[in-house]
Amino acid sequence: MSKGIEENTQRNAERNAEQHAEQNGLATVPQIEALADQLSVCADQIHARVMKNIKAHNGGPVGDAEQATARALLDDELLLRQRANSLYADAATYVVKTLGKPQQHVMELTAAAAEKIRRIAMLGDVVGLVGGLLSLAGAAATGQPVPILAALDKIRSHVKAVQADMPKKAPAKPA
Amino acid sequence: MTSRHRLPALFALCISVLLGGCATTSISLQEVRDFADQSAKLGGYAELSTRFRDTYAREQLYLPPAAERIGKETDVKRRAVYDDFGSAQKAVVLYMQTLSLLAGDARYDLTDKLDDLGNGIKANVESGLEQKHVLAYTGMTRLLTRVIASGYQGRSVETMVRDGDRDLQTLLEAMLTLTRFYAKTNENEKKTILGIFEVEIPFATRPQDRMLVTLAKVHYLNKSAEYKILDKRYELALQGLTKVSLGHQKLRENLANLRGEEIRNILASYVRDLQAIRTGLSANPN
Repeated sequence: MSKGIEENTQRNAERNAEQHAEQNGLATVPQIEALADQLSVCADQIHARVMKNIKAHNGGPVGDAEQATARALLDDELLLRQRANSLYADAATYVVKTLGKPQQHVMELTAAAAEKIRRIAMLGDVVGLVGGLLSLAGAAATGQPVPILAALDKIRSHVKAVQADMPKKAPAKPA
Repeated sequence: MTSRHRLPALFALCISVLLGGCATTSISLQEVRDFADQSAKLGGYAELSTRFRDTYAREQLYLPPAAERIGKETDVKRRAVYDDFGSAQKAVVLYMQTLSLLAGDARYDLTDKLDDLGNGIKANVESGLEQKHVLAYTGMTRLLTRVIASGYQGRSVETMVRDGDRDLQTLLEAMLTLTRFYAKTNENEKKTILGIFEVEIPFATRPQDRMLVTLAKVHYLNKSAEYKILDKRYELALQGLTKVSLGHQKLRENLANLRGEEIRNILASYVRDLQAIRTGLSANPN
């Protein structure tokens, strides 16, 4: 009798664990789509940031080092777009992938990253942040929690570090 | 005694009501028929499915090595599920064709179309659709088999719409979701291809780059015009699927009164919208 109850309890616990994993995971089509959307937004921000830098030269020549940075960021942007499109294909095939962190958290972090890319003053600082995003996008594709958690930490520390660099108030626009 | 006497009279009354209903049905359901016809002919989805499948072939030349590797992996995923994208649409089209026949008086043989549906969606995780979509597809196939195989006997527009609405809506929802993914994938493709030129053209400032810059600018303009047309097509395809879904929902809500002025006007306006969408889709064929 009590054995039956025990088995039942265990089965319930397993079921709860499964449900829990689903709630915290990137397990449904809308969730996969939302991450892909967010990665696309980050790619848009990288592009806008690079273009802003180029336009600041007013058609004049752009230094070699700056060109190299812009090209590296362009490569990263394209990589993020491929990651996003890969997730759209996943969503279309409904391959279940598990993110070890609550979905909400992932969304907040990537949204914060997109906002930072838009506002960072130095192009070099963008590069570091984008590195973290790319690790996240790559880890999400594997569905393995450990690299995903590591990537999330990396983004979090970059978002924080960049915040420290930024002035409290936006400075008056230089003439 | 009296009740036994009344029974045949009641029967006769029922039959005359039924026959009367049938007789008016075939004349006055023109709007239902037009709506079903337009829904069956709705374009865009199939073409955009194919375009989604072929994304990598278009992007390949533009991608740096790391991005190209991911693009290639995604290409395999897209190709694996492409067939399933079409199955949902086939079921919806056959449903609308059948509905059109029920609402009209002409008779065609649709039985050969059923074979097409039989080997439809792969019901497993590899499939392009969620489990509920697979169930809807199976339900729809069963309904159509019953209706078509019975030679429409004893079937009316009302029962078909009542039995079919839930599965039809689920299939349309799947098609809408997939079309949204096609559009978003296309958006990233567009921004990839145009973005490269936006960054590289301003860097090419040496005199010997002039010819290259000119060619790049021409290519950029062509591509950006091409994508502008495509954006419109995704939008029209989504609009069309939404109209079909809403129209059928209206049918379902007004089953008791399909001959009413209001529902006929609503359906007529959907028919006009669907016609306009079709015209828009054929105006700029890809």
